[in-house]
Amino acid sequence: MTAGAKKRKEAPRLLMGNEAIARGALEAGIQIASGYPGTPSSEIIENLSRSAAERNIYVEWSTNEKVATEVAAAASFAGLRALCVMKQNGVNVASDFLLHLAHSGTRGGMVLVSCDDPGALSSVNEGDSRPFARILEVPLLEPGDFQEAKDMTKWAFELSEEIRNFVFLRSVTRMSHASGSVIIGDLPAETRRPAFRHKGSLLDPDNGPVISLFPGIPELKHGPQQEKLRRAADIFEKSPFNTYQGPEKPELLIVTSSACSLYSREAVHLLGLKDRVGILKMGTTWPLPPELVKRHLAGTDRILFVEEVMPFLEENVKILAAEAATDLGIKYFYGKKSGHIPSVGELNPDLVLSALRKILNLPSEKDPSDFLKKAESIAASAAPHRELTFCPGCPHRASYWSIHNAIELDGREGFVCGDIGCYTLGFLPCGFGTLKTIHSMGSGTGIAGGFGQIRRFAMNQPILAVCGDSTFFHAAIPALINAVHHRSPITVIVLDNRGTAMTGFQPHPGLAVSAMGEQAVDIDMAEICRALGARVEIRDPFDLEETQRTLNLMMEEAGGAQVLILRQACGLSPEKKGKKLFEVKVDESVCVGENCGCNRLCTRIFRCPGLLWDGQKKTARIDEVICAGCGVCAGICPSGAITKREAQA
Amino acid sequence: MRVFGPKELQTDIIEKGLCSGCGGCVDICPYFRSHRGKTAMLFPCTLEKGSCYAFCPKAEVDLDELSMRFFGRTFDGSPLGHHLSIQISRAGGRVSSPNFQAGGTVSALMAFALMKGIVEAAVLTDREKLLPLPRLVKDPSEVLRCASSKYSAAPTLSAFNRAVREGIDRIGVVATPCQALALAQLRSNPLQKADFKDPAALVVGLFCTWSLDFRAFKDYLAGKMDPSIIRKVDIPPPPAEIMEIYDDQGKREIPLAEVRQLVLPSCSFCLDMTAEFSDLSVGVLEGRPDLNTLIIRTERGMEIVSQARKEGFLFTEDLPEENLKHLAWAAANKKKRALVKIKAEGLFNTGDGRRAVLRFSDEAAGAILAGEDGK
Repeated sequence: MTAGAKKRKEAPRLLMGNEAIARGALEAGIQIASGYPGTPSSEIIENLSRSAAERNIYVEWSTNEKVATEVAAAASFAGLRALCVMKQNGVNVASDFLLHLAHSGTRGGMVLVSCDDPGALSSVNEGDSRPFARILEVPLLEPGDFQEAKDMTKWAFELSEEIRNFVFLRSVTRMSHASGSVIIGDLPAETRRPAFRHKGSLLDPDNGPVISLFPGIPELKHGPQQEKLRRAADIFEKSPFNTYQGPEKPELLIVTSSACSLYSREAVHLLGLKDRVGILKMGTTWPLPPELVKRHLAGTDRILFVEEVMPFLEENVKILAAEAATDLGIKYFYGKKSGHIPSVGELNPDLVLSALRKILNLPSEKDPSDFLKKAESIAASAAPHRELTFCPGCPHRASYWSIHNAIELDGREGFVCGDIGCYTLGFLPCGFGTLKTIHSMGSGTGIAGGFGQIRRFAMNQPILAVCGDSTFFHAAIPALINAVHHRSPITVIVLDNRGTAMTGFQPHPGLAVSAMGEQAVDIDMAEICRALGARVEIRDPFDLEETQRTLNLMMEEAGGAQVLILRQACGLSPEKKGKKLFEVKVDESVCVGENCGCNRLCTRIFRCPGLLWDGQKKTARIDEVICAGCGVCAGICPSGAITKREAQA
Repeated sequence: MRVFGPKELQTDIIEKGLCSGCGGCVDICPYFRSHRGKTAMLFPCTLEKGSCYAFCPKAEVDLDELSMRFFGRTFDGSPLGHHLSIQISRAGGRVSSPNFQAGGTVSALMAFALMKGIVEAAVLTDREKLLPLPRLVKDPSEVLRCASSKYSAAPTLSAFNRAVREGIDRIGVVATPCQALALAQLRSNPLQKADFKDPAALVVGLFCTWSLDFRAFKDYLAGKMDPSIIRKVDIPPPPAEIMEIYDDQGKREIPLAEVRQLVLPSCSFCLDMTAEFSDLSVGVLEGRPDLNTLIIRTERGMEIVSQARKEGFLFTEDLPEENLKHLAWAAANKKKRALVKIKAEGLFNTGDGRRAVLRFSDEAAGAILAGEDGK
């Protein structure tokens, strides 16, 4: 390597946290990566898929997270290094298999990355995946900055091979989606040759069958697994990912991890407390290295836990403190339990600041906590107010319009059970308040199936469910099978927008392309449903009348489970983005405006962001900059003032 | 008259089961729609005054005001309403159809009005299987397709509203009493629009004692037969007490007592048996299934009848006294029953700003309540 090339390589690069994790996996020499899209995790697999050809690795978007972990595990069983990626909710889906895998152990290094979303910025909940490490009894790592995100990922594979079990690495939105300086390392020149050795004895971890449990003899698998965890704790005692900053005997010790360690550093810096407050940043958060933690607890009486969502560090440190109480004496703990740190939502430096002020009785004059308020007021004056809504041209708005109208016309107080996707917004005004239950992926269909069964007790309300196309394959199929099998009279509407749109258009089993851009088998969901014995209709949701009419007939005739596929590509899909199908115009002389006969249906009820109300002229107009040209609003205008004309190519 | 908005229409009428599904509020805006005989409000509308409420035949109807507007006198509560003459009639030799319910008078009159250009288009009630559907007809030959009684609620006036929006200014309508009442309110320009012109050129009212809830009727029939092959429904005159259903296999008879369970609740709030706010009202003639009773109420109605008779579209003669007495007795009974009900519900001539179903003089109310009772 020339001096220049070496220097270039050593120069820090600006990498997104998820890019750093992907780079770490490449440096570790992974040959398989699998995952299911979910914000904030999706960029990891996307980055790897772009390197797939060059690095000769196999990358896939699996049908769901459980399948993704199974695919990665197979590679590990054959001796290869494998990465598996998901968001926190995905760990719930994968957890059944993971508990088995934790017992059977792994061979080639396997790392499971979960990207959590404290504050639920782009999630339906802010579930904390860290407790899974404790439940599954596997090691947990949490990078505290971008360099660590890369280094820790790479090291996680070594740890996995050392203890012969998979390693759990948890990131958060502010780590995955923020960017920072990363010095990258070398990529391995060699690849491993896979072989699944299975002819050895049942208890041979290298050459025997890989089985998770001996019925009735848990000590055969569970015992060795716990031994692996103890070894991990020993290794963690000396891990460079656990760092301490501050005086030898701090007045207050902050115990923190992940992005919260950055907030803690900033707060301590802003308040000028570096000589009074120490920060123990833990990178190996399960199992905690007991000696290291006890050493730091011995240096102070007061401990503040700074972490998001669950009091995970807090509880685990308290257990260690209780176990060592005879040596350490009484400690004062501050954190979520004491109310100094919020139990809900994301943290930020201000929140840490206010906790420090309270605990240390600091005056508030230096407190810059009104920064957030200032930022909000500036934003409010400079940016137009926009509510949470569907994009212009979104097929979901059209679908919900027809679903809502069909239910109202039907008049029996029908309702829709929903789940996770862009279409979750259907419970809001942008979806005309159509969704009445929202839970995990596929659960709208399962819950609807249950409602269908209680109709036998004289409940007359029509029952509908919506699920996305990717969700259909992910988790709705078993629920649909259940409904068809038990003759549950429900109508399942698949909002098929031709991709996993919410997370950035990753392919799913219904499309003829894989994560690596290779030809894949596109699975016809309509044929699946028909094969199950369900009545299936396919409509274009942009045809409002026909969609509503079909739905009314289906609701009236629901004898068993039936499926309506509303197929129209997402307005942001690669084939549609930036291309207007129609030029849409408002004839101001025809627009009825706020008078009887319309009362601003388009801007008051339909509320596509591409429609604007001109308060001076008292007519609607099109925001030509953001109008996607879908032309649906022309179909709802009662006076024919909104017209559409095919756009010039 | 007092006019309120869609919110009041929803809470006072639709939610309380007072809607007869006439279609008066349908197709004037995107908010009210009719589906399988029922009117639904799709989205909230915030206007304080709306045509929807103003046209509704169960919402703040002022019969004195309407009666003054159309007949030049206040509402007196007489059994058959204001009229010039009562005849018996049937279609003349120039028209005939196997679909005629009785004498074919309605079809004959409307076909004649279309043919002569008295009306540009006619708002009628067609049927798709068992479901009555409004239809706007411009060709006289299509009138006959819509012949025959439907017996369940139809949003016929939605087609009238559509015709107005299309700019048709001479419209003929065949309307049940609630539809004729809604139409009368529409024709009085309740929102006082500057450019208003009465678009109804001929209103032929139908006698009606009640109307069935379509959905309940269909479910009821579905338990007995295939409702999709029904061709015609008829109720022969008393004392038969049956409903006759004709399908491909012939005629079936259903006890009228069972059918009456399916009557719309709103019908018990209706005083009008003979569609008083029309130019001509037509019904059956007891004891003569081939003839109609024809009430002529307005000068223009009289003129059309005499022209139609002259040109062989209509045959008329005087109504026998016995039939008139019986008709008046039945109509008076309906008035009394409904008024008792409306008063009992506290919806007649309400004070203190409370909204009423109906308003007219206490004098006329007294006359109705003192009238016929039982047989």
